[in-house]
Amino acid sequence: MAITYRTHMSIIGDILSTTRDEVPDESGASVTYLIRKANVSYARLSKILETLVSQGLLEQTSSERACKYRISERGREFLQAYRGFREFADSFGLRI
Amino acid sequence: MEFITFAESALNLLGFAVGLILGIFAYIGFRNTGSPTLFRLNISFFSISIGFGVVGFGYMFESLVLGYVKTDTWIQTLGIAIQTVGYFFIAFSHGIKSFFPKSRYFKSIVAPLFIIPANSIEHIIRSISFILLVYGTIETIMSYMENRKRSTIFVAAGLGLLALGEFLGWYSIVFPKSVLYFVSVSTKIVGLGALFVPISQVPLRGGVRFGNNI
Repeated sequence: MAITYRTHMSIIGDILSTTRDEVPDESGASVTYLIRKANVSYARLSKILETLVSQGLLEQTSSERACKYRISERGREFLQAYRGFREFADSFGLRI
Repeated sequence: MEFITFAESALNLLGFAVGLILGIFAYIGFRNTGSPTLFRLNISFFSISIGFGVVGFGYMFESLVLGYVKTDTWIQTLGIAIQTVGYFFIAFSHGIKSFFPKSRYFKSIVAPLFIIPANSIEHIIRSISFILLVYGTIETIMSYMENRKRSTIFVAAGLGLLALGEFLGWYSIVFPKSVLYFVSVSTKIVGLGALFVPISQVPLRGGVRFGNNI
C-alpha cells in the first residue's frame, strides 16, 4: 500500500474531524486520543493544538486528569469550508 | 469592426469572465484556509483571466477607439504570455506534488527546461503553454485513477481542451487567415467552462474568514 503524504492543512483537518465526529465523551478528546486518531507525534500535536485553540477553532476543557479538546462553532465552520475547498483542489488532482 | 474580430473579442472577454470567477473562488479558498495550493490556483486563474482580458479588451480598443482595421499582433502575444504564466502555476502545483512531496524547502525551486520548435515569440509562448497544459492534463488523469472523482475527469478534460486550443492557435501559423484562431479560442472557452464543474459541487457560505496563521 502506498504511503500518502499529509499536508499540514490535512493534519489540521484530521484533528478537527476527530474532535467533531469521534470524541469519546462530551468533555472532548484527550491528547493521547488525538495522537492515536490523527496519527501525529506529541510534539507536533501540541504545537497544532496551541494554534487551533488560539485561533478559536478548538475549545480547551480541563478535567481532573488532563486537558481535553472540543471543536468550537468556529472550528465547525472552518472544517466545512476546508472540506469544500479540499474537494475543489482534489478535482484538480492537488492537495491543500 | 469585422465580424470575426468582434467574435474573437467576445470569446476572449468570455474567457476573461470565466477565469475571473475561478480566480475569485480560489482566492476565497486561500483566504479561508491559507492553503498555498489555493494561492497558486488563484494566481493561475487570475493570470489566465487577465491574459484573455488583454486580448479581448485590446482588440475592442484598437477596433472601436483607435479605428484600426487590422489589430496589432503584440496584443495577442502579450495576452498569450500572461495566460502561459497561469498554465505554469497549474503545472507547477502538480510538479510540487509529484517531485517534492515531502519537503517545503524545495518548493521554491523552479527549473523547467523546454525544447521548443518555433520561430516567433507568440509561438514559443504557445508551445510552452501546450507543454504545461498537457503535463497538467496527464497529472490530473493520474489523480482521477487514484480518487475516481467525476469532477476530476471534468478538470482533466478542461485542461486537455485548453491544450488543444493552444495547439490549434499554435498551428494557425500554417493557416494565418483561416478560422483556426476562432476555433482555438472557442475550444479554450469550453475547456475553461469544464473547470467550473468542481465549483458547482462546493457549498459556498461566505462570512467566515480564517487567517494564514493556521
